[in-house]
Amino acid sequence: MIQLFHVTKHYKGCRALSDVSLRIEKGECVLLTGPSGAGKTTLLKLIFGAEIPDDGQILVQNRNIARIRPSDVPFLRRTMGFVLQDFKLLPRKTVFENVALPLIIRGLSSSGTKKKVNEALQAVGMEHKRTTETQVLSAGEQQRVCIARAVVNSPIILLADEPTGNLDPQLTYEISELFKSINARGTTLMLATHNKQVVDHMKGRVIRLDCGRLLSDQRAYQ
Amino acid sequence: MKQFAYLLREALTSLRANRTSTLVGVLTTGFTITSFGIFLLLYLNVQKVVGTLQDHVELIVYLKEDFSSEEKSQLERWLKQEPSVEEVSFVSKKEALEDFHHQFPDESFLLDGIGGNPLPASFVATISPNSNSATFVSNVATQVQELPGVERVRYSQEWVERLTLFVSYLELGAVIIGLILCLASITIISNTIRLAFFVRREEIEILRLIGATGTFIAIPYVIEGAILGIVGGGLSVGLLRGMFEVFLQKINALGLIGGFPSALEFFPFQTSLTLIIGGMVLGCTASILSVYSWVRVRP
Repeated sequence: MIQLFHVTKHYKGCRALSDVSLRIEKGECVLLTGPSGAGKTTLLKLIFGAEIPDDGQILVQNRNIARIRPSDVPFLRRTMGFVLQDFKLLPRKTVFENVALPLIIRGLSSSGTKKKVNEALQAVGMEHKRTTETQVLSAGEQQRVCIARAVVNSPIILLADEPTGNLDPQLTYEISELFKSINARGTTLMLATHNKQVVDHMKGRVIRLDCGRLLSDQRAYQ
Repeated sequence: MKQFAYLLREALTSLRANRTSTLVGVLTTGFTITSFGIFLLLYLNVQKVVGTLQDHVELIVYLKEDFSSEEKSQLERWLKQEPSVEEVSFVSKKEALEDFHHQFPDESFLLDGIGGNPLPASFVATISPNSNSATFVSNVATQVQELPGVERVRYSQEWVERLTLFVSYLELGAVIIGLILCLASITIISNTIRLAFFVRREEIEILRLIGATGTFIAIPYVIEGAILGIVGGGLSVGLLRGMFEVFLQKINALGLIGGFPSALEFFPFQTSLTLIIGGMVLGCTASILSVYSWVRVRP
């Protein structure tokens, strides 16, 4: 599903990732951990096609991300979902409009969009807020909407970068549960976090990074 | 269809959200097209007048005070035999005086002090439109001038040619000024769109995140530019119409040259439409130029 071969990335001379090799199988739950600046976000960005590695190769669904044309990046992203700490929801738009956006981009019909959005909102428990504008939602609700938008396209891979960074322990637990249920349905999950509660709760494969190097790769709870 | 509705809605939302820059964009396009339109209006009307005059080039052959009937007949024969002459008419001294009184009733007193009729008899020869080049008419005039009984020959072609030269300068001026104004307008609309793009950069980042192509991101801004151009173009056509009507009223009030105002015409519908479409093209070009550099970089 995802393979990294000796990947290195620098930002203006500073090393973000150094000689990282990985293999992630379909349907796996991978937790990327490590302190701030360890290279977790860079790794996700490379898989997402937002960055190009300075060295090494990245294969995502047998496509080499290092050599992908910029015009193909949007189509790669349509096979993935992305959840961020700061939600990245469109302000002044309703919950429904935000979740429907990936489907509009793909040119899905109105009836198809409505059906899929309702299913996604139901999965994250936000169907009752579908007409509410996103800026009036609480942090936990915004993150649920963000997850609904990430999964509405039925992505093969779901990438999440510190998705519980702004949430209290109870909300963190609820969001972790959501990710678990999405992964249980067969979606490959890569979640970057330094929250031990999340790592313990998810019971997935833990990849530890520090200063851009891969320190350990273990299945903590099997 | 759903995609287009979404993109159109986004464009309209952006126009509403950035009212000041929208207004600046509309006014700039309007000003550009109005300035260009003034030139175009002047050019088309002068060209029309020139065209009308060119079709009616006349050679006026004034006879000497003491011309004989034989000289008159010989001259008439010569003119009628000349292939480039379409029609010949004789204006006697009496008819010339009557024409003067008729055309300039307020100035009739000028002739009272002179006594008698100072106006000469003349032949008016209408030159065929196929033979009305300045050189050709000039040659005919020279030959006529040599005939007995001829006092002076005058023809309108020379200043028609000058007017034609003026029209060509006007044409060149319109093209140069039009280009400069178009560039200015493209720059300003382009900045308006860039500002809208900058204001919404976070939304653009989100769209990229969820797999929107550069084209999908750019289309609302191109629509925005097109709307700015169409509204600006419509505004300029309205302005030009208003200015044209005021100009006609002023001309009428001043009592300038009889029949002149009725000869002036506003643009036909197709030209007005072309100006509005021109505004749209201007707006689209400006938008494409401003968003191209943003969307072509790696997402």
